[in-house]
Order: sequence, then structure tokens, then C-alpha cells
Amino acid sequence: MQWWCSAQGLAWSWTWRPYLGVWVMVAILVAAYVGLARRSGGAPPSRAGSFAAAVACLWVALDWPVGALAAGYLASVHMVQFLLVALIAPPLLLYSIPVGAWQRLASHRRLVRVLRTATRPLVASVVFNVLVWLTHWPRIVDGLMGYQAGSFLIDMLWIAAGLVFWWPVVAPVPARPRFGYPFKVAYLIFATVANTGVFIYLTFTHLPVYATYELAPPIPWITAREDQQVAGLLMKMGGGVVLWTAIGVLFVRWFRAEQA
Amino acid sequence: MAAACSDGASGSSADPEGAETARPDLRGTVLEPSWEKPDVTLTDTEGRPFAFRAETDGIVTLLFFGYTHCPDVCPVHMGNIAAVLRDLPYAVRERIRVVFVTTDPERDTPARMRNWLDRFDRSFVGLSGTEAEVGAFQAALRLPAAVRQPTRPGPLPGAYAVGHAAQVIAFTADNRARVVYPFGTRQADWAHDLPRLVEADPWPSEGSPEPRER
Repeated sequence: MQWWCSAQGLAWSWTWRPYLGVWVMVAILVAAYVGLARRSGGAPPSRAGSFAAAVACLWVALDWPVGALAAGYLASVHMVQFLLVALIAPPLLLYSIPVGAWQRLASHRRLVRVLRTATRPLVASVVFNVLVWLTHWPRIVDGLMGYQAGSFLIDMLWIAAGLVFWWPVVAPVPARPRFGYPFKVAYLIFATVANTGVFIYLTFTHLPVYATYELAPPIPWITAREDQQVAGLLMKMGGGVVLWTAIGVLFVRWFRAEQA
Repeated sequence: MAAACSDGASGSSADPEGAETARPDLRGTVLEPSWEKPDVTLTDTEGRPFAFRAETDGIVTLLFFGYTHCPDVCPVHMGNIAAVLRDLPYAVRERIRVVFVTTDPERDTPARMRNWLDRFDRSFVGLSGTEAEVGAFQAALRLPAAVRQPTRPGPLPGAYAVGHAAQVIAFTADNRARVVYPFGTRQADWAHDLPRLVEADPWPSEGSPEPRER
């Protein structure tokens, strides 16, 4: 039995398979959040709902069947997994943290100092985009996806990259009074452009770039080339939908702040 | 068998007239010495006899033994070759033939084989024969005989897999088996090698110096 999804080279089967590592991760997240909420005097429904949505995203993305298809069969599903893990779950997780917990975090001066540097918008943007490039580089994907630990590493890097990327936009600590709504909007607009390189590489490279998916037992309804093109389009369009939705939310909040 | 991997290598040899003839720089495993193309007659998917040597004389031929219920190696090889062939210029593509020989004649009826091959490329030739004929064909190419392997109990009673050689054998236009492509050969490798196999006519004489490492 596998603890984390990885490329196995076996023909795809719709027979359910458990991945204990994913369940353990979900259990740890839930336990941590319950503890955090208790120590923070509870979490309002909007934040608790955000947490539930984040955990659901991670669970769907990493467990069977999405996780298994993503690890060893389809680059397009791998991209769906990336969108869920790196772009959708992290802002929901950050938003779900109760206000009391942020206030406690703000009192840890040394930690805040580290966060101030690590989550500076420019640093966050560079870290995120470098990690996105690295985790989509064929040699790294092909070298890691065949191993559970390797696949786990990529997934964790995506979560970490997503948290770093979204931190300046969503997290109130450390306070960045100068990084207001206009800058947040610009930061996200830049992100919609920054993923263009990977999109072009995947969509317009004529031959399949990932051996993992090219040599995987085929899924009947899609060829390796089509799969790769869909993956590229998903990165651009799916990522665009997520980022432009966030930009829309920021505009609404900006407008409301101006009205108030 | 003396097989030399020529990955990333190139070299040259003198042709019979004394001119320098470049040896193709191939990513597959080059067979030295090469093997004779077997003179075997099997049955194609239309039910007609197919004399392998005569029918493929003078053109590059990719030969593969497999079966249509194969979940991995066979569809990957066929799919990758077909995808690359579609991109090649017609002048190159018409000088390449792909021949698939079933190792599972019990389930691979001519109609099923034709239908399966057409999913990749309608020009692919499907052949079948008796167990003895196919076994002799494989033996002539120094391939292990295919063996039936029971699968784990599943929804289909009597289901089985067939263990078979996973390599594609490439014959050049001079009816010699020159290169072997194992499972793991990628579309980039096929796109690199197929035009070179077609261009290598005549093939530089054997016994020429080993290709230099780049």
C-alpha cells in the first residue's frame, strides 16, 4: 500500500486505493485548526468555512483519484492538482486563521521579523515563480514523481510556495500599510503574466516533455501531446480564473474601503 | 548478441566506392553485427498472406510483437511512433512501415487488431499466425517467446496478460535489423532517428570504426 500518490507504471484502474499520508495530513490540519480556533476564542463561520474549503481542496487534489492520476498518468490532472494545491487552498487557509491567532502571531517579534522578509511581495513573487518553474521542469518532475517521497516533496513545495505567494495579499501579519489594494492588485496581475512561460513551454512544445506522462500506461481518450497542451492551457486559464477572481475580490474590498 | 548503444555518437566509414559515408547518429541501440530480416509469411488483418521480407523490402520497417489487450507497453510504443510519423514529411513517412505481430492470437481477431491499430495509424500492418509461426519469427530475431500470464482475479473471468518482448526492431531498407528500441523510447527519440534511418540508404558498411563519443 502506498502512503502518497506516485507514478507506478501500472495500468489505470478505477478501483479505489487509500493513501494514508493524505489522511494523516488532513487529520493534522483539522486538529491544528481546532486547537488554534479554541485558543483564539473560536472561529466565525466565514473563517471556519474557508478552512473547510481549503482542506477539501487539498484532500481532493492529493487523494485518489486526482492524486493518483496526477502523479502517474496525466499532466493535465497534475496541473489541476497544482491549481488546487498552490493557488486555491493557500489563500483559503490563510484567510481561515482566526483574528486572535494573528494577534498572537504579531506579538512574536522575531517570527514577525522573519515573516516580514520572507513574505515581502517581491521575495514572495520570486520564490513562488522559481518554485513553479522548478516543480514543472521535466527533469525534476520525471526524477521525483516515481517516488512517494518525491511526489510528496513536490506537493509540499506547492503548498509552501502558495502560502508564501498569497501571504502578502491575505495575511494581516506582518502589517504592510504601504502594500495597499492598488499594489495587491498589481501584484496579482503580475502573477497572471509570470506563469506565461510555463504555459507557452507546455502548450507549444511539440513533443511531450515529461517522460512520466508520455510513457505512462495510456488513458484511452487523450494522447500524450494533447494532455500536455491541456495542462498548459489549464495553467494559464485556470490560474487566470483564480487570480482574476482574487483581483475582483480585492477591487470590491478596495471600493468598500473607499466608500467607508 | 553484440549490441552497441550509439546514443549521442557519430562517425563515418568508407563505402564500397571509397567515398566517406556518414554513419547515422542514432538514439536506439545499434546492432553490430546486424541481423538478417526473417523470411516469414503470416496473415494480415484482411486475411491475406503477408510475406514479411518481400512486402517490406526496400523500406524502413519497425517490427513489434505485442497484443491489443496490453495495458502499457504496446499502446505507448504504437502511440508514440504514430504521433511522430504524422509529423514527418510524406517523402520520409512513405518509406517507413510499421508491422505489429500479435502474441495473443486467441483474443486478437483480425477485426479487433485492425480496429486497435487504426486508433493509432491506418497504415500500420497487423499480422497473426499460429503460435509456432510467431514463436519461430521471434526466435529468428533472438527474442524470447511470448508467455501467457494469469492476472489477479478481476471482473473479467479468464483474463490474462501476455509477457512479450518490449522492444521495437528497426530494419533498414537493405533488409537488415539494425537498431533496437526498448520500452522507454520517447517521441523525441523517434523523431530524431526515423528520418536518419530512411536517409541511411545504403547503410554504411559494417565493421567500420566505432562511432566516436561526443
